[in-house]
Amino acid sequence: MRKHFLLLSSCLLLLFAHVFAQSKTITGSVTDPTGKPVPGATVLIKGSRTGTSTKSDGSFSLNVNEKAKTLVISAIGWASQEIEIGSRTAFSVSLTGKENTLSEVVVTSLGIARDKRSLGYATQNLKGDQIADKGSVNLLNALEGKVAGVNITGASGSAGASVNINIRGITSFTKSNQPLFVVDGIPISNDVDRTNGGPNGTLGDNQPANRALDLDLNNVESVNILKGPAASVLYGSRAAAGAIIITTKKGGGPGGKSEIIAGSSYSVQNATGLPKLQNEYGEGLNGAYATTTSSSWGPKFGSTPTVANGLLVGGVAVPYNPYPNNISEFFRTGTISDSYLQISGGDAKQNFSLSGGYLNQNGILPNTYVKRTNVKFTGNTILREKIKLGASVTFTNTIQNGILGGNGQSALGVLWGMARSIDLTSYRTKGTYKNADGTNNFPIPNTDNPYFDAYSNPLKSNLYRILGSVNLGFDVTPWLNVSYRLGIDAYTDRRKQIFAISSGRVPTGQDLEATFFRSEVNGDLIITAHKNDFFVKDLNLTALVGQNINQRLLQSTQVQADALAIPGYYQANNGTVFSNGSNESTTLTRLLGYYGQLSFAYKGYLYLEMTGRFDQSSTLPKNKNTFFYPSVNAGFVFSDAFGITNNVLSYGKVRASIAKVGSDAPAYQLSNTYVSGGYGNNVASVSFPFGTTAGFGASSRIAPLTLSPEFTTAYEAGVNLGFFNNRLSIDAAYFNTVSKSQIFNVGIAPSTGYSTKTTNAGKMTNKGVELMVTVTPVQTRDFKWDLTGNFTKIVNKVVSIAPGVISFSIPGNAFTGSIPSIKVGQPYGVIIGGVIPRDSATGQRLINPGTGLYATTTPNQVLSNPNPEYSLGVTNNLRYKGFSLGFTFDFTKGGQILSFTAATYKSRGAWAPTAVDRDKPWILPGVIPVAGGKAKTNNIQIPAQAYWQTLGGLQSEFNVYDATVFRMREISLGYDLPSSITKSMHINYIRLSVFANNVFFIAPNSIIDPELNTQGAGNIRGLEFQSAPNARTIGANLKVSL
Amino acid sequence: MKYKILTNSFTNRSKQLLFLTLAIGMLSTSCKKYLDVNSTPNNPTVVPPSVLLPNTTIGIAFANGNDLNRATSALVQHIAGVANQTAAYDVYNFSGAFDNQWTGEIYGGAVSNLVILINSDSATSPAYSGIAKLELAYIISVAADIWGDVPYSQAGQGLKFESPRFDKVQDIYQGNASLGITSLFDLVKSGIADLGKTSALKPGKDDMVYGGDLTKWARMGNTLLLKFAIQLTNVNPTLATSVINDVITGNNYINSSSLDFAVPFGTAVGNQNPIFSFNNVNRNSDQMLSTRMLNLMKGLNDTVRLGKFFTKPSGSFVSYDNGSTAAIPALATRSRYNTYNTGDRSGNTADGKVGGDTAIRLLTYFQVNFILAEAALTLGTPGDPNALYQAGIKASMLKAGMTGAEVDAYFTSNPTVVTLSGTVEQQRQQIITQKYIAWVGNGIEAFNDYRRTGYPVLALVNNPSGDDPTTIPTRLPYTNTELSTNVNAPNPRPLTNVKLWWAK
Repeated sequence: MRKHFLLLSSCLLLLFAHVFAQSKTITGSVTDPTGKPVPGATVLIKGSRTGTSTKSDGSFSLNVNEKAKTLVISAIGWASQEIEIGSRTAFSVSLTGKENTLSEVVVTSLGIARDKRSLGYATQNLKGDQIADKGSVNLLNALEGKVAGVNITGASGSAGASVNINIRGITSFTKSNQPLFVVDGIPISNDVDRTNGGPNGTLGDNQPANRALDLDLNNVESVNILKGPAASVLYGSRAAAGAIIITTKKGGGPGGKSEIIAGSSYSVQNATGLPKLQNEYGEGLNGAYATTTSSSWGPKFGSTPTVANGLLVGGVAVPYNPYPNNISEFFRTGTISDSYLQISGGDAKQNFSLSGGYLNQNGILPNTYVKRTNVKFTGNTILREKIKLGASVTFTNTIQNGILGGNGQSALGVLWGMARSIDLTSYRTKGTYKNADGTNNFPIPNTDNPYFDAYSNPLKSNLYRILGSVNLGFDVTPWLNVSYRLGIDAYTDRRKQIFAISSGRVPTGQDLEATFFRSEVNGDLIITAHKNDFFVKDLNLTALVGQNINQRLLQSTQVQADALAIPGYYQANNGTVFSNGSNESTTLTRLLGYYGQLSFAYKGYLYLEMTGRFDQSSTLPKNKNTFFYPSVNAGFVFSDAFGITNNVLSYGKVRASIAKVGSDAPAYQLSNTYVSGGYGNNVASVSFPFGTTAGFGASSRIAPLTLSPEFTTAYEAGVNLGFFNNRLSIDAAYFNTVSKSQIFNVGIAPSTGYSTKTTNAGKMTNKGVELMVTVTPVQTRDFKWDLTGNFTKIVNKVVSIAPGVISFSIPGNAFTGSIPSIKVGQPYGVIIGGVIPRDSATGQRLINPGTGLYATTTPNQVLSNPNPEYSLGVTNNLRYKGFSLGFTFDFTKGGQILSFTAATYKSRGAWAPTAVDRDKPWILPGVIPVAGGKAKTNNIQIPAQAYWQTLGGLQSEFNVYDATVFRMREISLGYDLPSSITKSMHINYIRLSVFANNVFFIAPNSIIDPELNTQGAGNIRGLEFQSAPNARTIGANLKVSL
Repeated sequence: MKYKILTNSFTNRSKQLLFLTLAIGMLSTSCKKYLDVNSTPNNPTVVPPSVLLPNTTIGIAFANGNDLNRATSALVQHIAGVANQTAAYDVYNFSGAFDNQWTGEIYGGAVSNLVILINSDSATSPAYSGIAKLELAYIISVAADIWGDVPYSQAGQGLKFESPRFDKVQDIYQGNASLGITSLFDLVKSGIADLGKTSALKPGKDDMVYGGDLTKWARMGNTLLLKFAIQLTNVNPTLATSVINDVITGNNYINSSSLDFAVPFGTAVGNQNPIFSFNNVNRNSDQMLSTRMLNLMKGLNDTVRLGKFFTKPSGSFVSYDNGSTAAIPALATRSRYNTYNTGDRSGNTADGKVGGDTAIRLLTYFQVNFILAEAALTLGTPGDPNALYQAGIKASMLKAGMTGAEVDAYFTSNPTVVTLSGTVEQQRQQIITQKYIAWVGNGIEAFNDYRRTGYPVLALVNNPSGDDPTTIPTRLPYTNTELSTNVNAPNPRPLTNVKLWWAK
């Protein structure tokens, strides 16, 4: 197979390695009337879609063919200019006046730069300076609050923890709903590889990274978010959930000038969102002191001054005192240092860029860090005026070290539930968290000291990644271009999870060695033809045909060495049992795509575009593996068409699109298989082999007789309006997507002997509104205030699942009793569990008359809904001379989170309110059913402990919190040294900035930060299983350009 | 350099197009092969019976020893649940429980693979189908005894029956020709018959219980008939009597503790029996000795045996009253399952780290004695009830690890306990009480006898809850998953106070 592939690839490369056309490179710079560079200005060849935008220093370079006559230069806030090219190759453009059209070049599907006004669908573009130097390590964190139509939620503030992103809602029941990530035209992996270490598996491991973590933010030129299927349809099924198009910085200064950019930032991080805890009562139960409980239901401090709290520090019992900071002191001050160097040179014809970055983050949790090294080389050349050749290679090494969270024996699980009288800090300062023989030291039996767990049971990931691409473009004739792009993204992630002997989760010790290898090879052949005055004057046609070849491979191997012989020695050969969890797996998926696009532009105000794509997938039945999906979109700039020129409405465009996108099945769904046997869960389990006896059983999934692709159809309508010379602009969109024929494993009656069957069924809809508003309230020569706001409202609904099926659980790990589910009539991802029955007359919860506690819960009810009602974000940028101040805040209304941490605070008597009136009787709100009569109000008194333990049931409705939150996301203050100073030093600019990220939040209805999501990136949302808190980052950055 | 050569040789447009066409043509023809990569390298699609059998055998034992055992052991008050799910079971709250048991252990773990063994091996390798029929009969009886009506004749057959019928308990035990339901008795007899046939493949070490000795499986089958028969004393004593008479006449049942149908586990992590895995590894603090069990055993002066069943870390038994809200004793002092159920090779019980190798006992010699004693007493089948009763007690005591001298001493000093006396019903109570004690670690069997005979007399727990806080549950609720996916599931489900067909 590989041979074939290579052969074909080389054929294709050779195919267009033989034609040349005449072209030249022009360079220039764009400045404002005062001579200051204008970054982000658009430079387009008139009548074509060839163009670029200016860099931060206002420079641009562009390859133009001999037929190109005129350049169109435009920038927001300025009038656009047209300049004859003639024989010139260098341009110096000074912008004047006010613009009358909104014009912006954005990178769309397949890396095609387009004038935004021609698009019939929504995209949103963010520039590099809106992303870098703001205190984010993961690109997705840097997008939070800034993009309409997108939901982004980080797992936690743990170093490297993954970030979930869904664009325009969730459209697939069980496939990934993360968008496709494309870097410089090459699809890359943003997968999350989870390590199943210990009995709690992924419910309790360190939060792994989504692989966008590997991207160096400093190297990002721009990010364009393709929101709907209409925008991403040419990427095919891979982009069914939208696409994030990342363009990295390229070399090539104007006029052959070289540039050196060096930047360095340093930030500190602190844990945020820790709730207020009580310091009146210590360890114990029922008001009595007990040495072996984590609960703080013991006697009041001061009442029994001589009681030792069971904690022996250096053999000495310490007094029964509160330790108000015993939880908060577990979190240390994290640090992030980030250095970056880019050297670029050459001219527009031959250029190169070499960059390197090193980021070192020491997380807020002990023994956690991320170390990321990036080295990138890009070179471009133009041969014989017609062949554009480019190659790029990026090498990344990312090391992530993390500690365990989750219910049960984990550093965080124990920490959050710790009694108020335990002097945890002293274990760190005195190093007594482990005994001389390396085993756990904690007064509570079978419980890990959080420091022991953090330092003895870490999970380390060491990833090496290579991203390489070559691209080749030919201007066969002035109107015909053939290009080919081949890219490979490959990484190997070596994981090591260790459990020391005496660990709560794996008492006999474990060394888990896991390796993930992922690679994606992607090739695109694209032929573009362009014709002006196509049959009709002023009707321009662009036609594109393309072919795509894609292969994805995932290999994982895992050796799990259990029951270690030698304490403190972590090699597989130290194990005595290897049969649990040791495995190997290979998943190979291939895709061939053929696509075409026809775009018509009439007089620059009416646009119509049609696309179609055939995909052939290896994962579908051989005779039915081809599927087709079309799209059509149109844009009409009515302000130009009707010649509207007044001071109020400066620009107006309406647009609409209908697009369908198909998505294939996961690999290997078509045959029934057997799996190695095993029974049980985290409370008791067995697995084969038993000694030397192997055992296999039929897989719990029944393969389908046939399978067809999933389809999502998206309808979108939108409007772009510019007012007051575009000082105010509005970009609004309404969308309605219908996803059908979902591929998923539907639950069947377990008594069939099987749990699921793979099927095509179901329907889900997403309806939503997106709004972007950009205002420039003040603009003077020295001062400018830009404000952009975005608003997102998405309503998801599961319309149907399969005949007779009203709900099923989202694949992944979950605790029985709070199952993330897909339920008919509900939005995607509701958590299903037991709910206390209510009295039909009063609506009050029913009380068990025998106990004064609540009646037994009714199972299979919707416990919580993680989907927010709406969210909005506002970014302000104020510029005064060399100063710039930017801040972003966002607000999310609604959505719910089920928090184990909050439950534990209550049930263990640690939360501040649990100390109030603790010695008085309490009554749970509710009613007592009376046979044949009206229920009476509950008057049964119970102790405070019973009261709070009832309200602290891990999976109860009392631990579902409204996730409404206002957050000051970012603040940054920058200062550019005056050019009068820098010029004399031959420096382009020196920029100094200070920033803060996740500055503060207000969550009126939640005990904890509701923006936590233990399972991170994935389809399971709204669950917090004793995970790390979020972090506030404050830092400073210095950037110099030579 | 290459570019140049190619450029020179293709200068006109038509040649370029030709080349393009050729390249695309080449691409299309190879697509088929290129895309033909969807056979999984990760899992087998065909397996021999020698790997299915160990999985089903462990499956039926795991189902017996895991959560169903914890729930029933709490219901019969062998143990008291003091934390988490076991504490909920203790007070009859089964909300959301037993999905793993119904789905993963019984139907998805054992039944589906037993059906595959029976269907694929009856013709050529009946040694395997014979064993599979016996195991199927056993595990279906467990399900039927716990839940009542359960899928049986249509169960485990995949898409052939997407909503398997819930066969009535009486039809499961007695058969129903018009509904195509083979009785458990006939299923066992058919299995025993298969064992005697010529078989192409025969089990060896993959038979984890008897090492491929099919004669021992025949004994297991006949013992299973005894167990099924005694279950019917309230509802079909005629059938019970005739089956027991036949088995006694055949004289080919488990007649020694060494022949017990007990599924072995190991000490290795991942091979440990579920009682150990739960009590000594993952959920140390969830369950402990019930005060009621302690009081019963004390009353019978049977504390030596109790010491084999439960630990005394502080030198004396520390128990907990079921459903109590009193402070729970410190973990380090609690009486918990001892090596009889948790297994211990090294003799080191203090840290609870080594063990898990005790077999899960599904059919035992002491059980046979108690069944035959009860049958002789109440059905008039052959044998001396008192001798059989005493043989049962002795077998249990020896099995528990008492020495011969300890057993003799107990018999000498407690003649009234070890001798049947009084009315038939009083004698029956003695037999069932001893059987109940012997079954510590197998709550399912004790729960079966309790519901069938009412012995031993148990009091409600403190603070009962659940479907009916006024009665000890007499069945467990169906699982939510089955109820929501099977249109033939009883709706609404019967409450836990609705008696089973064979119950008293």
